[in-house]
Amino acid sequence: MKTLLGLLLVVLLAACTTVATKKVDSGDNTIGDRLQVNIEGPWNQITAPGMGPAYIWTMEGLPVDQLRIYSGIKDGEVIHDTRNSNLKSFTFRSNMQSDELVSMFEGMLTRDGSTFQVTKVEPSVFGGGKGVRFEYAMVTKEDSLPLTGVGYAAVNNSELFALLYNAPRLGFFPRHQARVEQIARSAKIIATPVPAKN
Amino acid sequence: MNRRGFLRAGCGCSLGTLPLFAAGQEPWQAPARFVRPDTASDEGGIWAAMDREETKLRRSPFNLRDPQLQPYVQDIACRLGGEHCPDIRVYLVRTPYFNASMAPNGMMQVWSGLMLRVDNEAQLAAVLGHEVGHYLERHSIERLRAAKSSSAIGQFAGMFGVVGLLGAMGLVAGMYAYSRDNERDADRIGALLMNRAGFDAGEAAKVWGNLMLEVNARPNGSARNPLFATHPASEEREDTLKELAASLKGGVTNEDAWQQKTAPHRRQWLQEEVKRGQHEESIAFLTRASTRTQGKADYLWARGEVYRLRAGSGDLDSAVKDFQAAVALGGEPPEAHRGLGLIYRSTERAADARASFERYLQLAPDSADAPMIKNYIQELSV
Amino acid sequence: MNRRTAVVLFAVVVSVLGASRTSWSQTPNLAPGFSGLPKGAKVVMMPADIEIYSISAGGVPEPRADWTEAGQRNFKSIVTRRQGTLGLSMTQLAEKDADDFAEISALHTAIARAIAVHHFGPGSLNLPTKDGKLDWSLGDSTQALKKATGADYAVFSWVRDSHASAERQAAMVAIAVLSLGRAVPRGGRQTAYASLVELDTGRILWFNRLSRESGNIKDEADAEETVESLFKAFPVVK
Repeated sequence: MKTLLGLLLVVLLAACTTVATKKVDSGDNTIGDRLQVNIEGPWNQITAPGMGPAYIWTMEGLPVDQLRIYSGIKDGEVIHDTRNSNLKSFTFRSNMQSDELVSMFEGMLTRDGSTFQVTKVEPSVFGGGKGVRFEYAMVTKEDSLPLTGVGYAAVNNSELFALLYNAPRLGFFPRHQARVEQIARSAKIIATPVPAKN
Repeated sequence: MNRRGFLRAGCGCSLGTLPLFAAGQEPWQAPARFVRPDTASDEGGIWAAMDREETKLRRSPFNLRDPQLQPYVQDIACRLGGEHCPDIRVYLVRTPYFNASMAPNGMMQVWSGLMLRVDNEAQLAAVLGHEVGHYLERHSIERLRAAKSSSAIGQFAGMFGVVGLLGAMGLVAGMYAYSRDNERDADRIGALLMNRAGFDAGEAAKVWGNLMLEVNARPNGSARNPLFATHPASEEREDTLKELAASLKGGVTNEDAWQQKTAPHRRQWLQEEVKRGQHEESIAFLTRASTRTQGKADYLWARGEVYRLRAGSGDLDSAVKDFQAAVALGGEPPEAHRGLGLIYRSTERAADARASFERYLQLAPDSADAPMIKNYIQELSV
Repeated sequence: MNRRTAVVLFAVVVSVLGASRTSWSQTPNLAPGFSGLPKGAKVVMMPADIEIYSISAGGVPEPRADWTEAGQRNFKSIVTRRQGTLGLSMTQLAEKDADDFAEISALHTAIARAIAVHHFGPGSLNLPTKDGKLDWSLGDSTQALKKATGADYAVFSWVRDSHASAERQAAMVAIAVLSLGRAVPRGGRQTAYASLVELDTGRILWFNRLSRESGNIKDEADAEETVESLFKAFPVVK
């Protein structure tokens, strides 16, 4: 997906040392201290500064598929990278309902002009608590490539936990969907750390 | 007779200020059909670039290939083009912005944002006729020649290309914008073509008047409004067209036919309009559209949605009013009940919310979010 | 043997082992287990996706339709001339027949970018799960192409050339001079991908990438060199 990749390449050119690709092994993994998932078969995690608060995983490479995992996003936090400040920003609010969470993610994914159509929204369990699961179809602005997506989101103690997976409708989404659903089902929110007393 | 020569003969004035019917002279006639230029020539390069953009458009997921609507619009364009009909290829494009264009190779695009905004066939014909006017007078080729830059062709072709270029459209359209004289000519010729094809030329001025309503509604109302990047609206234009229409009497508007033919797409186009997130413009447009004879409930629903999403002071009340008005009319989109339900839910009117959600599910049991709404109902029943 | 000899020998052994390991394992351009096409294999050449740009004085790439047109013509004629010499049964898919395969082509472009960045890229972006192998596949989405063309394999090509305009070249000289040679801004660039796909499985069997400062497909005289470089070591007959 161009925006993520574009960012990555800019960062690479600027500071080669800070981009990293890490193997995420099968089994239990903790994401950002707050979300534990169990994965069957390894994934690739890509980290670089300025990519936004989500953890980004991929199987085939960012231009093809992206798994975004949000762990403990706070009220008022912007959910994406802040590079294109002239584009509309999308912020999480802890009182958001399911329909509003879906709209927020829709807004984020269409910032670059891609189109988005939700195809299913249903209540679900995510992270061990009540949440929402949604499916969607997109067409990328850059290549006019049709994508399929699935998302899970839940608000727990005023924080957002979520997972979004996008991949081309042809071939790739069907190939990886089952493992993504399994990751979502396995997700567990770890108890809120006790805040330090002042 | 070479029309340009004729129109310039005996007058030092520019084409733009010469009336179409100069005293004692013949009325404007369309040129003969154009022949595809030699590929090696300048113009040949332009056609080749257009052909490539056309191929991309044809393959694009944004190409609205409707077996009813496309032939219908094609037919209107054909009647406007007269003898040039065989050279005109109409593509309907799914995008909520207002635009129609015609490339020098005969490729014509009509965007859904435009189809949503015109009230009748005559208004559509006004815009398409205007584009055909540019095509017949070869204004775009003139502009390219004037541009001198050799990369112009590619950028220019891009203007006629796939919707994905919308982001750059404003910029490029500015560079290759037709001159004011060209625009005036195209307006005049468009009005004439409309009239000859049997449409009421008086509708042309209304298109721009309607657009101005939206432009003026924008809080920081800028001239560089991407909605109309390629068709700058102005009072001057409106006035000129009114004058022209005075001498071009008769013709139909065909509002009913237009409303009927576009009805199957209306809700989809309204969804996309709402998603633009340009609340003030949408409200201005939808307020006007809700006075149409057909589809009132749809426009009211859409305006209600915009209020609901804007959620400014008093907006939720306005939204409820619009949704309820849509319901009262009957034939309302099921989403009107969804909208009511969501507002009632957020304002803790549990019983009302449940009732609205249930009605939504009754009308749209297979909607994408039916499972989520069912869940809301259950939560509200506790 | 003395210590110094041992060290040298050790180094030699390691490098020989390393070298032989390299020659034993696949080159990065080939999918694991694939070394060449069978004789007479039916291959369809997809219309090449070519765009050529001129770089303005300010460094902005502007599409040049005339150059792109020329580039496409050159590519096509070179392929036509050579396709009979490869020991394969190669056909070219006509532009008008390619309408139905727009999505597969768009998909392929996305994968080519992924391979370019995560396999032929800076290394820090290599995907651990790919284990250094060329291991990408379009899946069964290519069956439709196989059915329509009767071919067993397809070749996809993508070329983006940019050339500094005269103004840009002047600006470049100015920048280089003013910075006393420290800043030498980029002139033109050629980026190109080509891949061989097995239509039954969608597997990418061979992939090559050019990313260089030279390369000119718009001029007949030079186009041959681009095509040759792009298809160098194209895995022909076993």
